[in-house]
Amino acid sequence: MNLDLLFQKAKQKGIEDVQAFLSHKNELSIEVFNGDLDKYEISDSSSLIVRGIYQGKFGTFVTEVMDDSIIDLIIDNMIANAKIIDSPDEAIIYAGDKKYEIVEGLFEEALEKKDAAEKIAAVKELDGLLHKADPRVSIAETMYSETTRTVLLQNTKGLKLYNKVNSAYLGAQVIVKDETDQRTGFDLDITNDFADFNLSELADRIVKEGIDALGAKPIASNNYEIILRRDALAILLATFQNVFSADAVQKGLSLLKGKLSETIGSELVTIVDDPFLKKSSSSRSFDDEGCATKYKELIKNGVLTTYLHNLNTAKKDGLSTTGNGFSGSVSFINMKMISGNDTMEAMLASIKDGLLITNLQGSHAGANTVSGDFSLQASGFVIKDGKIGAPVALVTVAGNFISLLKDIVAVGDDSKTSFYGVTCPSVKVKSMPVSGL
Amino acid sequence: MLLEKSLIEEIIAKSLATGADFAEVYTEDRISSGIMLIGGHVEKANSAKTFGVGLRLAQGLFSVYGYTNSKNPDDLLKLASDLSKSFSADKKTVPVKLGKIEVGTHHKVKINPRDVKQETKVALMQRAYKAAKEYDEVIQQVSVNLSDWVQNVEIANSLGRYVTEERVRIRFYVSAIAGKDGMMQTGGEGPGTAQGYEYFDTECNVEETAIKAAKTAKTMLFADECPSGVMAVILNNEFGGVIFHEACGHSLEATSVSKNASVFCGKLGTVVASPIVNAIDDGTIENGWGSANFDDEGYPQQRRVLIENGVLKTYMVDLLNTRRMDHKPTGSSRRESYKFAPTSRMSNTFIDNGTSTFEEIIKATEYGLFAAKMGGGSVNPGNGDFNFSVSEGYMVRNGKIAEPVRGASLVGNGADILFKIDMIANNLERARGMCGSASGSIPADVGQPTLRVHSITVGGKKGAK
Repeated sequence: MNLDLLFQKAKQKGIEDVQAFLSHKNELSIEVFNGDLDKYEISDSSSLIVRGIYQGKFGTFVTEVMDDSIIDLIIDNMIANAKIIDSPDEAIIYAGDKKYEIVEGLFEEALEKKDAAEKIAAVKELDGLLHKADPRVSIAETMYSETTRTVLLQNTKGLKLYNKVNSAYLGAQVIVKDETDQRTGFDLDITNDFADFNLSELADRIVKEGIDALGAKPIASNNYEIILRRDALAILLATFQNVFSADAVQKGLSLLKGKLSETIGSELVTIVDDPFLKKSSSSRSFDDEGCATKYKELIKNGVLTTYLHNLNTAKKDGLSTTGNGFSGSVSFINMKMISGNDTMEAMLASIKDGLLITNLQGSHAGANTVSGDFSLQASGFVIKDGKIGAPVALVTVAGNFISLLKDIVAVGDDSKTSFYGVTCPSVKVKSMPVSGL
Repeated sequence: MLLEKSLIEEIIAKSLATGADFAEVYTEDRISSGIMLIGGHVEKANSAKTFGVGLRLAQGLFSVYGYTNSKNPDDLLKLASDLSKSFSADKKTVPVKLGKIEVGTHHKVKINPRDVKQETKVALMQRAYKAAKEYDEVIQQVSVNLSDWVQNVEIANSLGRYVTEERVRIRFYVSAIAGKDGMMQTGGEGPGTAQGYEYFDTECNVEETAIKAAKTAKTMLFADECPSGVMAVILNNEFGGVIFHEACGHSLEATSVSKNASVFCGKLGTVVASPIVNAIDDGTIENGWGSANFDDEGYPQQRRVLIENGVLKTYMVDLLNTRRMDHKPTGSSRRESYKFAPTSRMSNTFIDNGTSTFEEIIKATEYGLFAAKMGGGSVNPGNGDFNFSVSEGYMVRNGKIAEPVRGASLVGNGADILFKIDMIANNLERARGMCGSASGSIPADVGQPTLRVHSITVGGKKGAK
């Protein structure tokens, strides 16, 4: 689409300023099922988000049709949408910052250039390793997915920004069976450097997760000392990400409302937003509003230091944006909890009777981001006299997000970026109610 | 017409040239609108135009999929050619001739969302806001979302199927937050339809919807924490059906059955549930939220009796999965959009009426939980373990509904729970949901009469009784 023509026509119809956000995506995904290539998917798609200020209000239209013939429809819809907006929010189109960080390594051409046949071969090899790892592996679904995304932001204030990212993941789900039980194992690794994939290590990890869980049973209902393994903690943190949004706070939809400068966690807890994290496809130097992104501490040693802001929420609070304006709202770029010094062994050794939680489910339904209450299905292992014991499944663990942060008594040294985009270590929690038998 | 018939024929021919034995062209054009009203003000109003073509090729069990936004014949033929490189038979020419396009007309729409002004929609939303806000002084915040879309699809395949239909959906969602002394609780109601805006003149009363949401929020604000433990649970009608959807429905989809990954594999014709259980997946219900004229492979939607008197009668199977299974296709193929290859999915899924009454079930329960409203949940199709949350619950004591409780979740196993249903009422109602799975997020109805599960693990913060 001719963006200059769009801008010009919009101006003629009384739209003061316009911003176009054009994203283009190429995807490749491969699935192997029990040894055979099962799925091969390729795509090429674009979308254009146009926001214009009409009589002081934002009108928005999104289109996947890119030819100039749609320009009139875009403009008419922007005006119709702007007309019904009556929130007092100020509509701002940004002229740009003086400086934008250069984030290196977001796009690796070698990944894109690598022959599809080699990628298929790697998926098949992983699949073979999964089946070879243990005779109890009955089914394996192995997958690879690769995305290349370019973003172009251009507005009538003269700002023009461009970003290109690629990333890939490789992983699998296995079903393992013995005479009496059936369990699943799942994991994947994310990178944009194909050499990072360690197939045999990944295969062993996935199979081990399923095998170790065979025979899992609920445990007796009680309050237990808990270790939340890093991937389980990541699920919980991801679920409550939105409570840090100033947008949610200002609308009364966050449990962190009115808690700025207050202690909301143990002094071991520091949570940051790191837009420049290496090898994260979310890393970037500008947000959807064209503002420069920055590294910031949200919780520092247990104290809530700031919310995440976009232009609008910052204006309302008399602050500057933190560069977290995404999709018309506010969100984290890379949520990260800073690791501590404790090893997993040391945390285990400190517990006589407890529970190691390795997975949580139902976070979309069993967690309330307004009250902070959660009640989630958990699985993991009994901790007995400092050692990992029998596998546990079908229990629920209940709590409150803030109480949990306050009850963290040890922070692990094993930080990793999870599938959910959150980077965090394992933590030990003083006590949580577990409901089982 | 979204694509010229001759172009579709050319794409299919190109797709089959290197050995694929099946090719399908799915074209979609959609206009959608979403409005968000918070605290009485319209904060956001978006609309969108979506267009794309999804192309699927298969040879035996192996299939490939690709999609693009482009309408340009060169781009589409290139996509066909790129995908066909996955197959390697000798070049051949397969003549493809499509007949006259078949138009689906079963689900009538009177007031098409395209003809409704944004201001008219806002007026409906303001009415709901006012009703919820004025319900009680503890209601601190109310948000109302109204979204609608009109989707036109054209589906053609190398077997000669060539169909089109227009699918209309409207979803109205009211969320209320009640707060007092720093405590906050939410309540939500989300009616929806596959009709037009006549829905708000006939079936959906926006004020009643809003008040229901506000009432849940207020009730939960003053509720005690739910006790935990194994107990009898009475699941209410409407959204209570999410238990069957999550715990059993997904495991009856060919997606998991064909790969031998479901607990219901090899169970056709056998008893899988208590004899009072009858379960149905019906994609033909007029203007049903999960209904359509055709499934997303272009075959007629059907009514499928899944379980009859406790016996498993059928799985839900799409055309391509019949290649893995000895099972006829059931018209169950669905997808969110052209960005997804279709697969077998539920439509409007429900447990059918039983012979008890609501009052009888409560009266027969000495101690347990009445789950008046369910939240969402999820299931591991590998072993059938599920969990879901209760958004409005009450304790039942001595045959009577007692105090409200919050924070409850139910944890169990799909294959197991079907045998534990010991009473089913006669008050079947369905409710709207969005179901996310392999082929994306799609509208799906869940439903059931009020029913009792004689024992299930309840998770709550209060600890055991």
